[in-house]
Amino acid sequence: MAQLKHLLFRLIVTALFLAVPILGVWTFVNADQMHVWFPEAVSSFGGEIDHLFSLILWMVGITFVATEVLLVLIILRYSRRDPSRSHYTHGSHVLEMVWTAVPALLLLFILFSQMGVWSEVKIAPPHEPSDPYSRENPLMRVYASQFDWRVRYPDEEGNFEGENVVESAYDIYVPVDTKVFFDLVSRDVLHSFYVPNFRLKQDAIPGMKVPVWFEAREVGDFDLICAELCGWGHYKMAGRVHVLPQDEYTAWLEGQREALYDNGSED
Amino acid sequence: MSRNRYLALLGAWVCGLSSACHFERATPELHYSLNEKALADGSLLEDDPAGQVHLLGALELLFGTPSQPSYMVLPEWLDDDFDPTYLGQDSFSDEAWAELVERNREVFADQIAAIQAGDLEGVTKPRYCEDLWELWLGLLDDMPEEGPDGTYYEDDDGNPVTWKEEAVATFEGYYPTLAASAELYRQQCYHCHGASGGGDGSTSQYLNPRPRDYRYGTFKFTALNNKARPRHQDLMRVLEEGIYTTAMPSFRRFSDAQLSGLADYVRLLSIRGETEILMEADYDPDEGIHFDNLRENYELVVDRWRQAPEELIVYEGEVPHATPERIARGRDLYMRDNAANCVKCHGMTGRGDGESVKNDPESSTDDWGNKIVPRDLTTGVFRFGRRPIDLYRRIYAGINGTPMPAHYGMQIVDGEGVTRSLNEDDVWDLVFYARSLSVKEREVSLAQAPHGESHGEHEE
Repeated sequence: MAQLKHLLFRLIVTALFLAVPILGVWTFVNADQMHVWFPEAVSSFGGEIDHLFSLILWMVGITFVATEVLLVLIILRYSRRDPSRSHYTHGSHVLEMVWTAVPALLLLFILFSQMGVWSEVKIAPPHEPSDPYSRENPLMRVYASQFDWRVRYPDEEGNFEGENVVESAYDIYVPVDTKVFFDLVSRDVLHSFYVPNFRLKQDAIPGMKVPVWFEAREVGDFDLICAELCGWGHYKMAGRVHVLPQDEYTAWLEGQREALYDNGSED
Repeated sequence: MSRNRYLALLGAWVCGLSSACHFERATPELHYSLNEKALADGSLLEDDPAGQVHLLGALELLFGTPSQPSYMVLPEWLDDDFDPTYLGQDSFSDEAWAELVERNREVFADQIAAIQAGDLEGVTKPRYCEDLWELWLGLLDDMPEEGPDGTYYEDDDGNPVTWKEEAVATFEGYYPTLAASAELYRQQCYHCHGASGGGDGSTSQYLNPRPRDYRYGTFKFTALNNKARPRHQDLMRVLEEGIYTTAMPSFRRFSDAQLSGLADYVRLLSIRGETEILMEADYDPDEGIHFDNLRENYELVVDRWRQAPEELIVYEGEVPHATPERIARGRDLYMRDNAANCVKCHGMTGRGDGESVKNDPESSTDDWGNKIVPRDLTTGVFRFGRRPIDLYRRIYAGINGTPMPAHYGMQIVDGEGVTRSLNEDDVWDLVFYARSLSVKEREVSLAQAPHGESHGEHEE
């Protein structure tokens, strides 16, 4: 009777431990159906970032499942009642070398596989002479402040101050299939410009103009959120990026510039 | 493991699971209160608790409660076809209404698509619109026997309208009730602006500048002259654009209909607050509250709001562009104490550090008793709009509730030494000078982040 109870206990404990990797893997397999997976990637580098993510996910996933299965096997094997004395060991140098060297190699592998994407997104954006915008000649400047996003479009000469500057709160308009360069500025504390659909996240740092770029490949409206806890109103610091066809974007900007000289009768 | 331990473990699981399943947000019930600041400011009603209760009751009769707000509609208003609830909608142009419907189509796209596909089970409950959901449930109950494509009613011309068309129109033409707007207010605005709109919500104490106290009917940012009450469009603009560099954010994530409803509700709180203050001023310790005057006061306050649109400042003619001459003239008016004398508060360099800020406490306090500083004109931040016409209105009519005066018509000595009143051209000159101060902005102090260096990415 006591033996049966012990066997039952072993099986329950083993099943509980086994449930962890099963549930973990199941969550990822079904994430898409449960709508907890990434939103569609629409920026030029979105696919590469997703590729890096799934590469790391596979590496971590395999390690996780292997470790968990090993754990379960050990629990099952060594939870038997065994009257013999314990056996002591001082470890194995070979084993230690292996479990240090393998992760180190994996980390090196990750390091080298992300360098290209990191450089493209953050350091040296691809640029051709035909591109209308560049770091030196950005499309817009985005201001983060507690607790909203504001964007400024320069006048025809590229000035961000003066008569013909267009300013918009919450809504950001950009042209599709164009490398959009912009400066990110914070008016107060740290914020982070995060558009999940673009796979783009960049901190706004007080006192600095941080150059950022993206190229949206699809027309549509995408959520912008703040990804750096910036105060009590952080949760409502939202915005919307409207990606428009090139001609619609130009028309929009022209309309905004004209509206600057409105005499207010429509207000 | 002993049986007790198993039982304890099981108990912990059950407790944890049940509390997780039965988790419900605590919804505080809100109550309107009296304006304590106005009472303390010399109203004798402060020492008459019974009178206070009577006044609260009278106000409830006129304006309802936070969960059931409603206006009492006076008989002559009925004749006029006027309902204060929809005061703002009088100003809705056809285009504005079409825009509202367009936004509703976006917001309820899933629901409308489901109805049109005949998948009534697939119509999901939209967020923040309890009243719309009730309309929908009512429609479901009312479905004709032939199903969604059956005729629901006949319109004025005798054309049949199907149930499906009516259902789509319900979503497209959604406009919240006051109660639904009050609920949205509770979720989004209450924590700063308070239940009665006193700007005394729980987070208000941490803010500078403080949230607006609606109860005086004084709103800083309007496009109007003569300190008029804000129009619906003025309130909407604040909701849509927020007030830059204050804790008031843009609420564009809500639909036009919802924002419009919020503006309606803010107006109710304001009208309630103003009526209350008039009643308190009327109070006489011997005779109690003059309830005979209640109706008169209520009408007076509502009329102030009805008349607001007449005060819109429009510049007749083409808005001029800045020229060096205009900027120079503006500078002259700005600097001299026998002209516009902006320098007194805004300072020589426009940084908002004029003489009066140091020497005259009067000029650094607003109507609500908060300390304020004059705008730093060099930052390029202009609240309530940076178009020339926006700044024109700021200078023309001043800013309600603050020491910033109306300049139009002010007696000045102009550049040629002639005494006259400040005219529209002078206002434009001042606008262009004020704007020229911000051109340099803080460009110099904004260091370009060095290229090729990683800027920390955070996962938060």
